[in-house]
Amino acid sequence: MIKAKMKAMVGLLAVLLILPAAAFAGEPFVTTEWLQANLSKVTVLDVRKVEEYNAGHIPGAINVFYGVWGIKKGVLLNELPADDDLKDILSANGIEPTTTVVVVSKNETMPFRTDATRVAWTLRYAGVENVAVLSGGIEKWEAEKRALSKDAVKPKAKAYKGKFNKQYIANKATVMGALGKAVLADVRAPEFYKGEKKLDFVEKTGRIKGAVNLPPGALYNADGTYKNKAEIEAIAKPVVGADLNKEIIVYCDTGKVCTNWWLALYDLLGYKDVKVYDGSSMEWLADPSAPSEP
Amino acid sequence: MVKRPSDDLTLCGECHQEIAANYKKSLHYTTIGQRNRVVKRMSAEETKVFDEKVFEKSCRSCHATCGDCHVKSPSIGGVSVGLIDKHKFVRKNEGKTCAFCHGGRVYPEYTGEYGGNADIHYQKGMMCMDCHTMDEMHGDGKAYAQKEEVRDRPRCTDCHEPGRETKLTARVAHLKHSQTASCFACHSAGEYRNCYGCHLGGGSEAKPGFFLGTSPRNRKEITTLRIIPTVRESFKPAGIQQANFDALPNYWDAPIHNIRKRTDRTRNCDTCHEDRKGFLTMETLLKNSSRTNLELIHKPKPIPISK
Repeated sequence: MIKAKMKAMVGLLAVLLILPAAAFAGEPFVTTEWLQANLSKVTVLDVRKVEEYNAGHIPGAINVFYGVWGIKKGVLLNELPADDDLKDILSANGIEPTTTVVVVSKNETMPFRTDATRVAWTLRYAGVENVAVLSGGIEKWEAEKRALSKDAVKPKAKAYKGKFNKQYIANKATVMGALGKAVLADVRAPEFYKGEKKLDFVEKTGRIKGAVNLPPGALYNADGTYKNKAEIEAIAKPVVGADLNKEIIVYCDTGKVCTNWWLALYDLLGYKDVKVYDGSSMEWLADPSAPSEP
Repeated sequence: MVKRPSDDLTLCGECHQEIAANYKKSLHYTTIGQRNRVVKRMSAEETKVFDEKVFEKSCRSCHATCGDCHVKSPSIGGVSVGLIDKHKFVRKNEGKTCAFCHGGRVYPEYTGEYGGNADIHYQKGMMCMDCHTMDEMHGDGKAYAQKEEVRDRPRCTDCHEPGRETKLTARVAHLKHSQTASCFACHSAGEYRNCYGCHLGGGSEAKPGFFLGTSPRNRKEITTLRIIPTVRESFKPAGIQQANFDALPNYWDAPIHNIRKRTDRTRNCDTCHEDRKGFLTMETLLKNSSRTNLELIHKPKPIPISK
């Protein structure tokens, strides 16, 4: 009997020890403790500028600057690169669909924080299955006096053969067709959602007609780390509903910041049909024929 | 306290003798390249006035001392962003040592922060000195009149040898355009910073733009052009009318640092040969500008379709 209990205990311990090393599907925000414990099992992708990476990065991290992943297309900012360009970037960095990737950015402001989420979403779009961002960013890692390296890592190239998830992205026509049917989640601060403020590069104030508001800052604790699943669920459910099968389209000003809520809704909470409207307010509010309010 | 202690190169030259001797003649230190170009718009009399009233008092204030690159940001328009790393001498940190001065155009274009498309070399982690040599920074001991005279400058073909492309279409395209288009003409990702309407004491206005046309320095080649902000009235406050203003164009061939493997021009021949996207035209040419600009307009011909 004691032997059986011992066996069960050992088995449980083994499972607990193995768990952190397993792929983290369903956990898009990982802690510094988790990353430290799993550093040898994941690819850390640092999306800060080259000079910042060279000055000190998480040991073993590779570097591809954010500006490579989110580009300007015509007048629109933070757009996806073409699929063949994206494949080249992944191939050059040896990222495969099965590679477990943790994206690291700076965390001090929302644009920096969402450099990581936008890249994570881009990787998910390109077909990389297990992707997370580091909660608290590089600043938390540094503040905890964890190891840093100045040795630039040259990744081994490997041809990328993943299948792109086109269902993760919406264009203007998709949004137009979804008006009145899908949940349109405006991931901007309430004053922007209400039409009281706008950024210079957005044509006018207002939101997509019928949109609900999921403020981007609602996902974070005061120290810039992500809230836990229960807390995030409690914020999301009253806004987007509890139906996990309902189509949800998130957008913001350029299609970058809203990717934090895409990761939260799709990868963390399990909503099955969540899209990013890449053109976002920049495109929609510049089109007089696109319904907006107030 | 000594203001700009390394302005006197003999101080650093006590230990760094060769570098200081070379640097004294370098374009970074003399900034003579700026002067030698713009004076071609002036008469001999005007050049004298320019040298005295404009170049020494205004342009030369941009010359870099040792400390301006290795210790602190130079003061540009009275503004300095401070020390690089406390008061330590920093040998190389291109994001600062180079970008302090080249942070208006080249550097943010390279990182993609101006224009929104990072250069593929930056994507791969390359910094300025992976292509540009120390001789380019400190000079090689010769007093060049302008940078185009420097022979040992980086060329795309130093690393990318034509004829070794893996894709046949790329090989054919390079072969076809090797004598008629610069690498930048096809591989520049898009808009870059252009400054307009520079007036002595009044500054200029910057806007993104993308211009293709005949290179003013190699009339057989199509390339990316950057606007020169000098206008007819630029030096009026100094009493300089620029008697030969039309001797130079208002666009120079520019090696734009926002290179991508694929652009709308490499993806589709029609972008240039049918749509003529980005090419200077009579309509898009700067108004009231140099007559020499007309010589830069190039109209690509449609590609003949074989029967």
